[in-house]
Amino acid sequence: MERHAQHAFDAEEVMAYLDGELEARRAAALAAHLVSCGECQEVAQGFRALSERMLSFEVEHPSAGMNEKVLAGLGAGDSSRKVIPSGSEQNRPWNWRRMFARPYVWAFAGLGLVALLAVVSIPNFFRASQVAWLDAPRGTELSAPAADRRSFSAITVNPSAKPPAATGSAEGWDASPPPSDDEHLKAPENVGPMIVQTASLTILATNYDEASAAIEKLAAAHGGYVEKLDAKAQTGNARELSAALRIPTKQLDGFLADVRKLGHVEEETRSNEEVSDQYVDLQARLKSARATEQRLIELLGTRTGKLQDVLEAERELARIRGEIESMQGQSALLVHRVNYATVQVNLNEEYRQVLGSGAISTGTKIRNAAVEGFSNLEDGVIALLVFVFAVGPSLLFWLAILLVPGWFVWKWFRRRARS
Amino acid sequence: MNSDETIMLEFQQGAREAFVELFERYREPIYGFFRRRLEHPARAEELAQECFLALLQNVQRYEPRASFRSYLYGIAIHLVAAERRKAGREVAENEKLDGRAAEGNAAENNDAGIWVRKALGHLEQSEREILMLREYEQLSYGEIAAVLRMPVNTVRSRLFRARAALKNQLLPVK
Repeated sequence: MERHAQHAFDAEEVMAYLDGELEARRAAALAAHLVSCGECQEVAQGFRALSERMLSFEVEHPSAGMNEKVLAGLGAGDSSRKVIPSGSEQNRPWNWRRMFARPYVWAFAGLGLVALLAVVSIPNFFRASQVAWLDAPRGTELSAPAADRRSFSAITVNPSAKPPAATGSAEGWDASPPPSDDEHLKAPENVGPMIVQTASLTILATNYDEASAAIEKLAAAHGGYVEKLDAKAQTGNARELSAALRIPTKQLDGFLADVRKLGHVEEETRSNEEVSDQYVDLQARLKSARATEQRLIELLGTRTGKLQDVLEAERELARIRGEIESMQGQSALLVHRVNYATVQVNLNEEYRQVLGSGAISTGTKIRNAAVEGFSNLEDGVIALLVFVFAVGPSLLFWLAILLVPGWFVWKWFRRRARS
Repeated sequence: MNSDETIMLEFQQGAREAFVELFERYREPIYGFFRRRLEHPARAEELAQECFLALLQNVQRYEPRASFRSYLYGIAIHLVAAERRKAGREVAENEKLDGRAAEGNAAENNDAGIWVRKALGHLEQSEREILMLREYEQLSYGEIAAVLRMPVNTVRSRLFRARAALKNQLLPVK
C-alpha cells in the first residue's frame, strides 16, 4: 500500500472511504478521483479483496439450546443469577483513579482518618489532663504540695531525728520521747510486765494523697514520729507508701483507730513481746556493776600497794564503767521500745487506670512497633532464605520428580475432557 | 424497522417482545463474535448466553448515549477478557489464533478460513480486535472507539495498519 508522496489521497483515506467513514466532501472528491486514478482503484481493490478473503473465516450457527436458555432467563426475570457486569462500568481492571472517584471511598477514608486521630490524640489528651491535675495545687489541708509528693520516690526519714515533743500523759510508761538520763530510763515498779508492742497495717486508700499526708500528721498528733518513710509513685502504677512509725504505747490504740479511717484495711497484725525478764536482769547486772565500781573506788582510795596492783584496779574500774554504760544504753533502748510501739503502715493507692497514662508515649509505641515489625520482617526473610537454602534443592528435586509429570498428566486429562 | 436503541428503550419500559426482537437480531452476530475468539463452540455459546443475560439483568442501566451495538459489544468484549483472565495462561495460549489452534479446528473451517485465522493470530492484539470488530461485527469506527475506549483516529490508524499487515500475509504481492 505504498503510495506516491504527491498523491492527493493516501491509502488510509481510501480505506476510510470504503468503510463509509470519510467526511462527505472528502468522500465525494475521492469518489471522483477513483474514477480516473488507476493507482487508487488498485488500493481500493486490495481492501475489498482483503475483506472478502476475511469473510472466508466462517463460523457455524449457534444451537437451538442457546435460544431456550436466554428466553428462559427472560421469562424468569432471572433475579437469581449472578449479575454480570454491564461492560462499560464493571469488570474492568481495578485502578486507583476510578476508586477515588467514588464518594463512599472518601467517606470511609475520612472516617478512618478521624478514628486514627482519635486513637492517637485521646490518650495524649488524658495524659495531659492527668499531668495538669497532678501539678495543680490542692486546696485540702491534708494534701502535700505536688513537688513533695513527687519527691516521695525515695524519701527516707533519718531515724535518729529528734522525735516530736510528747503530748501524752506522764503516768505509767512514759509517753515522752526517750529521756536521756537514768531516771527516765528506769521502769517504775508495780506497773506490771514490760511489753514491746508492734503493729502492722495494710490500707487501701481511695484518696491516696490525703491519706499519705494524714499519716505523718496523725503520728505527730499522737505524740509519735516517723522512723522511716518510703514512697513509690511509678507512672502507670498504683502509688505505694510504706511508713515505719513510733507511737507512744498509750496512744497506740487511738492512733490505729485513726489510721484505719484512712481507707480500707486489708491486713492488720499486732504482736506483743514481754521484755520484763530482760529488763530486770539488766537492772540487776547494772546494780551489781555499780556496787563493784563503788568498791573499786573505795579500794583505790583507802588501800596502798604496789603500783602494778593500783594499775590493775584502775583497769578493772574502767572495764566496769564501760559495762555500766553499755547496760544503761541497753536499758534505755528497751524502755524506749516499751514506751514507743512500732507501727508499720503500708498505704496502697486504689488505682484507677487512666487512658494514655502509660509511661511510653503513643509515638514511641508506634515507633517501637514499627522497629519490631521491621525486625520481624527481617527475621522472617532470613528464616525464609535459610529455609530455601536448606530445603530448596531437595524441594526442587522432588518437584521435578513428581509435579512436572503430574502437570502433563493433568493437561492430558483436561484436553481429553474438552474434546 | 425500529432502531436497536428504540427497541432497547421499549424493553426498558417492560416490553418483553422487544428483548426477543433484539435477541433475534444479535443472536448469530454475538455467537459469531465469541466463536471467532474462543476455541470451543460450547464455551462460545455459553458466553453468548451470558452476554444476553447480562443485557437482560442490567437493562435499567442502559442509557442511549452511545449506540446499542457499542453497549452490547462492550459487554461481549469484557466477557471475553474475563474469560481469558479466568482461564489463565493455558486458555490464553489455546485462544491464540495460531496455527496449532487452526489445525485443531480444521474440520470446522474451510481452508481459507484457516489461513485467515492464522494470519489474524499474528497481528498485535489491539489491532486484531479492531480489525475483527470492523470486518465481522461491522462496527463503525465510532462504535469501535466506544467499545475499546480509544480515540476514533487511533481506531482508524490501527485498522489501517492491521489491514496492511493482513494483506501482506493473505494476498499475493503484485
